[in-house]
Amino acid sequence: MVVAGAVGTPSGPPPIPIEVDGLTKRYGSHLALDDLSFVARAGRVTGFLGPNGSGKTTTMKVMLDLASADGGGATIGGTRYRDLPDPTSVVGALVESNAFHPGRSGRNQLRILADVDGLDAERVDEVLETVGLGGAADRPVGGYSLGMRQRLGLGCALLGDPPVLILDEPANGLDPKGIREMRDLLRARAAAGGTTLVSSHLLAEVELLADDVVVVDRGRLVAEGALDDLRTETVAVRCSDPSRLASILEGAGANVNRDGGELSVQGLSEEETGRLAFDAGIVIHRLHAESGTLEERFLRWTATAGEASR
Amino acid sequence: MSPLRLFRAEIRKLTTTRMPLAFLAVLAGVGAINASLVRWGTDFDGSKAFISTGADQQSLMAFGQNALLICGLFGAVAGAREHTYGTAIWTFLASPRRARAVAAQLAAVATGGAVLGTAGALLTAIGVSGAAVTTEFGFLVSAGGVLRVVVAAAFCGAIGAVLGAGLGVVVRNAGGAVTGVVLALMVVPPLLVQLSADAAPWVPSALATTLSGITLEAAGAERQAGVGAALAVLVLWAVVPSVAAFVATDRRDVV
Repeated sequence: MVVAGAVGTPSGPPPIPIEVDGLTKRYGSHLALDDLSFVARAGRVTGFLGPNGSGKTTTMKVMLDLASADGGGATIGGTRYRDLPDPTSVVGALVESNAFHPGRSGRNQLRILADVDGLDAERVDEVLETVGLGGAADRPVGGYSLGMRQRLGLGCALLGDPPVLILDEPANGLDPKGIREMRDLLRARAAAGGTTLVSSHLLAEVELLADDVVVVDRGRLVAEGALDDLRTETVAVRCSDPSRLASILEGAGANVNRDGGELSVQGLSEEETGRLAFDAGIVIHRLHAESGTLEERFLRWTATAGEASR
Repeated sequence: MSPLRLFRAEIRKLTTTRMPLAFLAVLAGVGAINASLVRWGTDFDGSKAFISTGADQQSLMAFGQNALLICGLFGAVAGAREHTYGTAIWTFLASPRRARAVAAQLAAVATGGAVLGTAGALLTAIGVSGAAVTTEFGFLVSAGGVLRVVVAAAFCGAIGAVLGAGLGVVVRNAGGAVTGVVLALMVVPPLLVQLSADAAPWVPSALATTLSGITLEAAGAERQAGVGAALAVLVLWAVVPSVAAFVATDRRDVV
């Protein structure tokens, strides 16, 4: 894969955020998305995190009009995907890494998309080089490794040089070099003003790649914000009346997550948290500052959401 | 999104796998069987009376029924594999107005079916004529008769392909779509005729025979549709699964 920015970085696009508002989706009796709302901002890489079956792929499919919503909706730059006049020049998407005919070559797969987009064969060659498939372009996709298919899928997404990228698990199957090159490519596009939403299970990779993260579990939003903010120190509190203290702390501007009987407080210091509890007459059993990796945070958010839903 | 661009992409989909070659091989096989039949086949009495007139030979060359079935299978595989392999995702990402994409796909398979039907008819005509000149009767079909057979095969190929693709898009599974084509063209029509003898001239095989310029009298049929009516009714056989394909694609999630 050629290092980012050499080919295909968006040239000064207007900011195009991805906005998800109250998205709800049912499969029979199973509630896959439950009033999900978040924003992926322009000029940022947004990591989209969640356990298996949490609704990440479903969210992306609904955003791209591949699946219908039962409530709410998603827009890209204020417009629904289906209403974009030339969607692939605005949004590049990778939602299924294996969506290729095994008997067709990688080059022909891209030429089919180029035909639809009105692009010439030179652009196809350019993208094949960008994703590092120049040497394998004329081989049937059935002989590609998983990583090569990922690269081809990324090439399909990049073909129209869109300012917005929606990528579902793009690092799956890539070797370390490929992951590094993809990261550089996505970072360069964000730096050029593009909007990128990337779902991933690789939390360490997201820590290196993303500016913002959106965390979902069981179709619901459990955390959203700038990665640096979410990783900052939190205050853990055990007290005599967690519900009342949570309300008081939230009233003071803090972001409070409940983990059983323990509160995880962001936005207030240990001293401020202790003073508010004291003023309210709430007995503190334990109060300490803690920090952690994204993985630790992720496990805490998703465990908390799981308990809350039981 | 320009319909012409979508059509071009769909044609490229059809021509960038080995599937058309496989169907061409089948057509060549059918042509070879017909040629062998003319060269070495005989009636029960050991004569070659079955090729003794121009009408007999044109009947043997008539490729409309074969085109319907073979191109029906071609369309079924082409329509279903889009979903089997997930390549429909790329199509609908580029054309979220799904009806346009389905229309382009049906137009492309119709074109492919017409080409395959024409190729099948020509291969059969070449085989039959080449074998017939080695017999005592020679080749007796007029140029107009050959043209009629070829044009009918092209039309039947297009109709068969659209019927198959419509079923393929609805069923989204190649095996199921192929079964659907066999049911629609080989199982349901005889049942219809059993239910009502009046249906006999309107089943696909009879319509294809009519279009090929062959009379149904020899087959014991009392009535035969006119050419215009045969064209219209054969189109209807493809319209039903096509409409189902548009509705199903619009209502269902792509993945």
